[in-house]
Amino acid sequence: MLMQQLVNGLTLGAVYTLLALSFSLVMGILGILNLAIAELFMIGGYIGFTLVDSGYPLPVAVLGGLAVAAAIAVVIEKIGYQPLRDAPLVTPMLSTLGFSIILQNIATNIWGSDPLQLSIFGAQYQIGPVSIGEMQLIVLGATVVLVALTAFIVQKTPMGRALRAVAENREVARLLGVSADRLMMMAFILSGALAGVAGVLIALHYGAITPYLGVEIGLKAIAVMVIGGTSQIWGALVAGPLIGIAEVLTVAYGGSQVRDFVVYGFMILILLLRPQGLLGGIRSDQGQRV
Amino acid sequence: MSTYYASLLAESGILLLGALSVYIILATGQLSLGNGAFMGIGAYLSSWLTVTMHMPLTLALVISALVAGLIGAVVAFPALRLKGIYLAMATVGFAEMVRSFFLNFEAMGGSGGFRGMQHISVGTVWLWAGGILIAVMLLERSRVWLEMQAVHDDETAAGLIGLNTTATKISAFAAGAAVAAIAGGLFAHHNVYIEPANFGFERSVDFVLAVILGGSTVAPGSLVGALLLVFLPEVLRPIADWRLAAFGSLLVLVLLVRRQGILDRSLIRALTFRRLAA
Amino acid sequence: MSRIKSNLPHILGILAVAAVSALPAGSAQAQTREIHLGAVVPSSGPFAEWGRSNTVALKLLEQQTNDAGGINGAKLKISILDDAAKPAQAATSLRKLSGDDKVLAIAGPLTSSAAEVAFPVANELKVVATSQASSKPGTAKQNRPWAFRNTIDEGVLAKTAVPYFKKAFNVKTVAIIFDAKDATASTVGKLIMPAVLKANELTIANDNDLLSFNTGDLDVSAQVTKLKSLNPDGVVIAADYSQAITVLREMKRQGLIKPVVGASQLISSAILKAAPEIPVIAPATFYATMKGEAPEKFTAALTPLLRKESGLPKDIEPNMFDANIYEIVSMYIDAIKKTGVTGKPEDLEADRTKIRDYMTKLEGFPGLGGPIGFNDDGDAIKAFYVLQGQNGTWDTKVRGCSSAPNHPGC
Repeated sequence: MLMQQLVNGLTLGAVYTLLALSFSLVMGILGILNLAIAELFMIGGYIGFTLVDSGYPLPVAVLGGLAVAAAIAVVIEKIGYQPLRDAPLVTPMLSTLGFSIILQNIATNIWGSDPLQLSIFGAQYQIGPVSIGEMQLIVLGATVVLVALTAFIVQKTPMGRALRAVAENREVARLLGVSADRLMMMAFILSGALAGVAGVLIALHYGAITPYLGVEIGLKAIAVMVIGGTSQIWGALVAGPLIGIAEVLTVAYGGSQVRDFVVYGFMILILLLRPQGLLGGIRSDQGQRV
Repeated sequence: MSTYYASLLAESGILLLGALSVYIILATGQLSLGNGAFMGIGAYLSSWLTVTMHMPLTLALVISALVAGLIGAVVAFPALRLKGIYLAMATVGFAEMVRSFFLNFEAMGGSGGFRGMQHISVGTVWLWAGGILIAVMLLERSRVWLEMQAVHDDETAAGLIGLNTTATKISAFAAGAAVAAIAGGLFAHHNVYIEPANFGFERSVDFVLAVILGGSTVAPGSLVGALLLVFLPEVLRPIADWRLAAFGSLLVLVLLVRRQGILDRSLIRALTFRRLAA
Repeated sequence: MSRIKSNLPHILGILAVAAVSALPAGSAQAQTREIHLGAVVPSSGPFAEWGRSNTVALKLLEQQTNDAGGINGAKLKISILDDAAKPAQAATSLRKLSGDDKVLAIAGPLTSSAAEVAFPVANELKVVATSQASSKPGTAKQNRPWAFRNTIDEGVLAKTAVPYFKKAFNVKTVAIIFDAKDATASTVGKLIMPAVLKANELTIANDNDLLSFNTGDLDVSAQVTKLKSLNPDGVVIAADYSQAITVLREMKRQGLIKPVVGASQLISSAILKAAPEIPVIAPATFYATMKGEAPEKFTAALTPLLRKESGLPKDIEPNMFDANIYEIVSMYIDAIKKTGVTGKPEDLEADRTKIRDYMTKLEGFPGLGGPIGFNDDGDAIKAFYVLQGQNGTWDTKVRGCSSAPNHPGC
C-alpha cells in the first residue's frame, strides 16, 4: 500500500505545485495574492471538459483552457489590478476576490452546480503493486515540464530578467527603461495561463468538476506556496509533493480528520521558523505594511 | 417592526461586531483573515456556558470574550514576526485549524452542530453591538489609538520613539478576538443552532469585506459595511441567479472608485458639520 | 462652506432607494381571492441546481392547480425565496414569507443546516415549514410541532437497504468511508451504518478507523487505497451523491470494483455515470424512471419544463427533492381544501393552525410513490424502495415502509 500512497501523494502534490506556481508568479513579482487564480483553474477545467466532451483531442483542450484563462486574466489585470497597483496590498487582493466571486457565479449559471463527469480519460496501467493512469502520468510529467519552463523563462530570458527587475524594485526598473505595466500584464497572463492548463489536466485526470473546485484547492495551494518559498519557482516543485505526500500519509496512517491540521500547521511552522520558505525567497517577516 | 427586518438588523449587529474585530486589528497595520475562528470560539464557549452550565448570557459572553482575548494574545505573539500578506495567510491557516477542531469536537456535536440556546431578541444584540461600537469610537479619540496609528504608519519609527509596539500589536489582536467572540455568542443565541461551517473562511472574509467596503479608517465605517452586506443581498433578490456576481462587481467597483470605503473622516466631518451649520 | 459638498442628502437618497426597493411589493389580493403559500429553496450557491429544479416543479404545480379551477375557487400563488443554502438567509426568508407576505404554510428549506436554524423560527412564528430534503436525524423532532419533513430518517432506510445488500452480493465484511463535513453523512457513517451492519452480522473492516474525506475534496486516492488494502466484500459510502461520485470514480480507477451501499443521499442520475460497473444500493422515495401512474405522469410533465429552463443541464431529470416538494405543496393544497381554510387576513392564525393539525394527523395522502403520513417526530411515513444502480439505470429491488408505532403503514 505504501508505494501506491506515495504515487497518490505525488499526484496530489503535482496539483498543488501547479497552482502554487501560478500564485507565486504573481506574488513574487507583484507582491499581491491573486485570489482569482483558483477560479481561472476551475474555468480552465470546464473549458477542457467541454472540448474533450465534444470530441476534441487533449492538446486542443489544453490550448482552449489556456487561452480562456489567459484572456480572463487580462481582463482582471486591466480592471482589477492596474488601477489599484499603488494601493496597499490588501486592496488589489480583495479586488481579485471580487472577481473570483463573479467567476464562480458565471460558472454555476453556465454549467450548473452539480458535478460534470467524463468517462475516465486514458488507460490505466498496473506496475507491480501500483496502479497508475495515463492521465496521471501526463499530469506528473506536465508539472515538471511546466515548472522547468517557467524557471527557464524567469531566469534565462530577457523578459524573465525584466520580471525579476520589476519584482525587485518597480521604480528603479522603470527608470532603467523597463515597461513595468507591460510586464505586470505579462505576469498575470503567465500565471493565468498556467492555472488554466493545470485546470484542464487535473479536471481530466479526476474526471469530475464543480464550480467550487478552485476554492478548496486554492487555500492549500497558497499554503504550499508559503512552504516552498513565495517567489521560488523550484520551491513549488519541492513543497507540492512534500505536502501532497504528508497529506496522503496522514490519511493512510493517521486519521483522515487531522489532515487539514497537518497541512496548515506545517504552513504556520514554516512561517514562524523559516519565513523565507524551504528554498528561500522573500522573507515573510519583511513584507509590505497592509 | 416586521420580524423580517428585525432579524436582518440582528444580523447586521452581529456582522458589525465582526467587522469591528477586524477594524481594531487593522488599525495597527495587521490584516487578520481568521477572525471567524474567534467568533466560533465565542459561539461554542458561550453556548456551552448557557446550555450546559446554565449561566446567564451576559456572564457567558464576558467569559467567552476574555478567553478568546487570551487566545488572541497567544496567537499574536508568533504573528509579530509576520507582515502583510504573510500574516493574513497565517491567520487563514489558524482559522482552518480551529474549524477543523470544532468539526471533530464530538462533545459539542462535531459536524452535527450544537443547539439548545435561548433565542435572544434584536434588542439584546444591538445593546451589545451598539455599546461596543460606542466604546471603539471613544477609543478612537484616546492616546492608545494614537499609538496604534503610529504602529500602523511606521513600526520602526514608532519603536524608535519609545512606543511599545509589541504590546500595542498584541493588545489589538486580543481586543479584536474578544469582540469577535461576543459576535459569536450573540450569533449562537440569535440562531439557536451553530455548526463549524458557520465560522469558516467565508465568515472571516465577510468581516474584512464589511470593513473595506464600509470604511476602513473610521469605526462607524464598520456599521455602514455591516448594513450594506446584510441588506444588499435582500435588495438584490429580483436578480437571484446573478446576485453573487452583482455583489462581486460591487466590491470591485468600490475598490476602484473609493478605496477607503464609503465612510471616511472627511465624509463624517461633512455630515456633522452640515448639521452644526444648519 | 460652499466647498463642502452636501453629501448628506446624497447618502440618504441612496439609503432610501435601497430601503424602498427592499420593501415587499404590497400584495393586493383584495379583488380575486388568493391562497398564498411560500417556499424556500437554494437557487444560488452550491446547490443551485436543486433550487432551480424545485422552482420549476412548484411553478408546474401552481399552474396545474389554477388550471383546474384553483383551490375552492381561489387562485393559488406560491412565492419562492432563495436561501443560497445559508442558514441565516433561510431564517430571514422564512420571516419574510411568514411576516410580510403572510403565507399560510412554507415548503423548505432544503438543507439540514438551513432547516436547523429555520425550524425554530417556524415555531416562533407559528407557521408550518416542511423540508423537502433534510434527512439529518432529529432535525424536525427537535422543533415540534410546526416543523415537518417529507423525508425518511436514514436509520429507518438503512434497516431495509443493508439486509438486501448483504444477501444480493453475499457480503461478509464492509469498509466505511464518509463525508466528515456533512452532518447527515457523518451520522450515517459513524452511527447509523455501524449499528445496522452489526445487527446484520456484518464485520466492519475499519471499525476503529473509519475513513473520511471532506466535502469538496478533489482527491480521495489515499482513502481509496486504504479501502483497497482492507479487502472488503462491500463498501459503505456515506456522502451526498456529488461527493460519492469522487469516491466511486477513484474506486474504479484503482480497480476496487465492489458493491456499494449508502443513504438516500446517493440517489441521482449523475451517480449512475460515475462507475457503471459498480453496483450502488441506496434507498429512494422517488426516482425519474419509477413505474406507476402518478410518478410517470409527474415525470412526463416536469421533464420537458426542466430541460427548457436556462441554467439547467440539457439531460436533467426530475429528482427526489422535486418530487418531495411537489408532494409537500400538494399536501398544503389538500389541507386548505379539506379543513375550511379561508385565506382571509383575519383568519391567518387559525388557518395556519388548521394546516398544522392536518399535517400532524395526516395519513394515506396519495403521494407520488404511495400513501404518505407523518410520525410523531414530524418525519414522513411513506413507501420507499431499495434501488440498485448499475450500468446506467436504477432497478427497484425491495419495497419498504417507514411505518411508526400507532400510525397506519403504507
